[in-house]
Amino acid sequence: MSAGRARRRAAGRGRLREGPLTPWLFLAPGLALFVGFRLYPLLDGLRLSFTNARLGRAGYAFVGLANYRRLLDDTRFHTSLLNTGYYAAASTVPVLALPLALAVLLDRGIPLRTVLRSAFFFPFTLSVVTVGLTWLWLLDPVVGPFNYALRTLGIPVRSWLADPATAMWAIILTTVWWVTGYYLVIYLAGLQDIPRELYEAAALDGAGGGRRFRSITLPLLRPVLLFVLVTHVIGSFQIFGQVFILTNGGPGDATRTVVQHLYETAFQNFFHFGAATAMAWVLFALILGFSLLQFRVLRGHTEY
Amino acid sequence: MSPDPATLSRRRFLGRALGATAVLPALARPARAQAKPTIAFWNGLTGADGKVMDELIDRFTGETGIHVEQQRIQWADLYAKLQVSVPAGEGPDLALIHTVEVPHFASDGILEPIDDAVLAGKRFRGEDYLPSTWQGGVFQGKRYAVPLDVPQHILYLNVKVMRDAGLVGPDGKPKVPGSGAEMVAMAKQVTKGDVFGFGIGTVNPGKYTWGFQHLLWQNGANVYTADLKRAAVAEPAAIEAAEYWGAFHAVHKVAPPANASCRDAFIAGRLGMWLAGSWNFTGLREAKVDFTVAPVPRLLKQPVVWTMPHQFTFPRPKAVDAGKREAAWTYLRWITDHVAEWTLRAGQVSASRKAHTDPRITGDPVLRTLLAQAPNWQGGQPTPKWVAAENLTRPVIETVYIGQRPARAAMEDLARQIDALPA
Repeated sequence: MSAGRARRRAAGRGRLREGPLTPWLFLAPGLALFVGFRLYPLLDGLRLSFTNARLGRAGYAFVGLANYRRLLDDTRFHTSLLNTGYYAAASTVPVLALPLALAVLLDRGIPLRTVLRSAFFFPFTLSVVTVGLTWLWLLDPVVGPFNYALRTLGIPVRSWLADPATAMWAIILTTVWWVTGYYLVIYLAGLQDIPRELYEAAALDGAGGGRRFRSITLPLLRPVLLFVLVTHVIGSFQIFGQVFILTNGGPGDATRTVVQHLYETAFQNFFHFGAATAMAWVLFALILGFSLLQFRVLRGHTEY
Repeated sequence: MSPDPATLSRRRFLGRALGATAVLPALARPARAQAKPTIAFWNGLTGADGKVMDELIDRFTGETGIHVEQQRIQWADLYAKLQVSVPAGEGPDLALIHTVEVPHFASDGILEPIDDAVLAGKRFRGEDYLPSTWQGGVFQGKRYAVPLDVPQHILYLNVKVMRDAGLVGPDGKPKVPGSGAEMVAMAKQVTKGDVFGFGIGTVNPGKYTWGFQHLLWQNGANVYTADLKRAAVAEPAAIEAAEYWGAFHAVHKVAPPANASCRDAFIAGRLGMWLAGSWNFTGLREAKVDFTVAPVPRLLKQPVVWTMPHQFTFPRPKAVDAGKREAAWTYLRWITDHVAEWTLRAGQVSASRKAHTDPRITGDPVLRTLLAQAPNWQGGQPTPKWVAAENLTRPVIETVYIGQRPARAAMEDLARQIDALPA
C-alpha cells in the first residue's frame, strides 16, 4: 500500500470519527429498534384508529372519526372507563401507604430485616398469571381456603369474586399483595438517602417519631412518592392481567377494565383493530393527562 | 499439492465449511423428496383428550410414516391464533375447530373450501354421518369442514350427596328429575350449608353459555331470528329461559356461586346434580367419585341437547403443498376409521355413525347415554356473527345469575348489543 493511500484512508477515518454522522451511527442500533418496535406501531395504530381495519380481511377504508364517535355510544366502554378509574383511585392509597409503612419499619433496623425484605419482595418475582391463579384458588367460593377459614371461625362467607360489591376489592387486594415488595424496595432506597443527621437534630430539638416522619421523611421522600404514584397510576390504567384471570371482567361487567375491553375488541370479537386502536389512543390521552397533572401537583423539591 | 491439515488456514477452513454446507443439502434432497411429510395440526384438546389424541397420532405415524405435529392451545387462543396466522401464510395444515366457528372463519377466508369430488374420492359420505354434524361443516352452500365428534353434556349425579338428601330410588341409584319444576324441588332438597343441589358447566357457571343454550333452545327460543337479521334473545321465550336459568342461583340459591368450579365441588361432594361435558367422566372415574349419569334433562318445553361438534378444517395456505395436503387427508381418513377408540378413551361420541354400533361403546353406560341423545342434538345458526353474539351473552347472563338485573332488562340489553354488532 502506498503512503499516499494510507494517509487518505486515515484522513477518511478521521472524518468519519469526528463528522456529524458519528453519534447517529452509535445511536443507530437502539434507534432502529425503537423506531421499528415502538414508534412505527404507535403511529400505525393511530392511522388504524381512523379505519375500519379488521384482521383477516384484506381491504379497509378510512372512516374518519367514526371509531371515536362509536366510543361515545359504547356503554360497555363507559363502564370499563369507570371501573378503571375506580380501581386506580381505590388502589392508590393502599399501594402508596402499605409499602411505605413497611419500609419505615424495615429502615429502623428491626431484627430479621434482610429476611423480611426478601419475603416481602418475593411475590413481585411471580408472574401475574401465577399470582392470579393462586388468588383465584384462595378465594374460590366453594373449595377455597379463605372461605374455609372464615367458615371455621363462624364468619359468614361470600363469593368474593362473583359479587359486584367485593370483586374489585379482591382484585385490589391481590394487586397490593403482588406489588408491595417492589415499591417497598424503592421506598427503602429513598429512605436510605435521607441524611441521618436530620433525624438526630430533630430528636435533639424534641421532635417525636410522628413529627419526624411528617417533617423530614415525607417531604424528603417526595420525589420517590411521585415516582411510585405516577408508576402506579399508569399501571392502574393499564390493568388487565389480574382482572383477566380473576374475574374476566365479571360478574357481569363489574370489573371490566379499558384494556380488557380493548383486548376483546381486538382479539375476540371480530378483530376490530380500528375500533380497538381508537380505544388505545383514548386511554393514552387519559394516562398522559393524569401523569402531567400529578407532576404539576407534586412538583417541587424539599431541601434542608 | 494439498496443504498439510495442521497448517490449514482459518480462511481456507471457513471456505471449505461453507462449500460443504452448500453441497450437503443438495445431496440430501433426493432422499428428502421420498420422506413422508410432516403436517402441522392445531387443536384445542388441552385436557385428557389431548393425550389420547397424542397416542392415536403416534400409532398413525407408526403405520403410515406421516408425522403430525400437534399444537394444543386453549380454544379461545387457538381461534385468535388462526385468525392472525392464516392471512400471514403461517397457518397449520389442519385445524380442529367447533362447528359454530365455521361460518365466521369461512366468511373471512381463513378456511379453504372442500371440493365435493375430493371428499367423495377420500370416501367421506354424508350418509355416514349424523345429519346435524355433517351440515355444520357447510356455510352458504360450500363445505369447509369434516366432523370428528360431538362434545355434549350429560347430567352427573353424585351418589353420596343424593343419598344424603334422600333422593335415591329403591335400587340405591340417585333419582333423576323429569321436569324443570322437579329439578328445582330436588335441588332444594339437596342444598344445605355448603352443598349445592344443581350446577351447570365446569367453571364459572354464571356465564356458561353452553348451559344457557340448552335452556334457550329447550324453550323454543333462539339467538337470532330465522332470517338471521336480528337478535331473538329479547323475545318472551328467551326471557323465560333466562329467568329459569338465573333463578337457580339468584332466587332458589341451589346453584354454586357464579365463579365456582362446579367440577371441584362435584368431586369434593358439594354438588348433587351437575350438568356438564361428557369429557369430564373419565376424570371423575380417575378421581374415584361415586357417580351415575342421566341424559340432559328436559327442563323446559322440548328435550333439546345443545352440542358443538368438532370439525376438521384446512386453513387456507399461501400455496397448497400437495404432499402435505394428501398427508392431511390420510390422517383424516385414519382417525375417522379409528374413531371408536377416540370415543372410548376421550369420552366423545363420534360424528360418523360407523362406531355407534361398536359393542365396546354400546356396552359403556355413559357412552350409551350420550348416543341416545343424538336425536335431540342442536347446533348453532349459520351466521358469521354467532361467536361474537355468544361472547356478548356471557356477562349478560351472569348478571341474571347473580340477581343483579331482572332477566327481561338483561335480555333486552343483550338484544341491543347483538344488533349493534358491526358487519
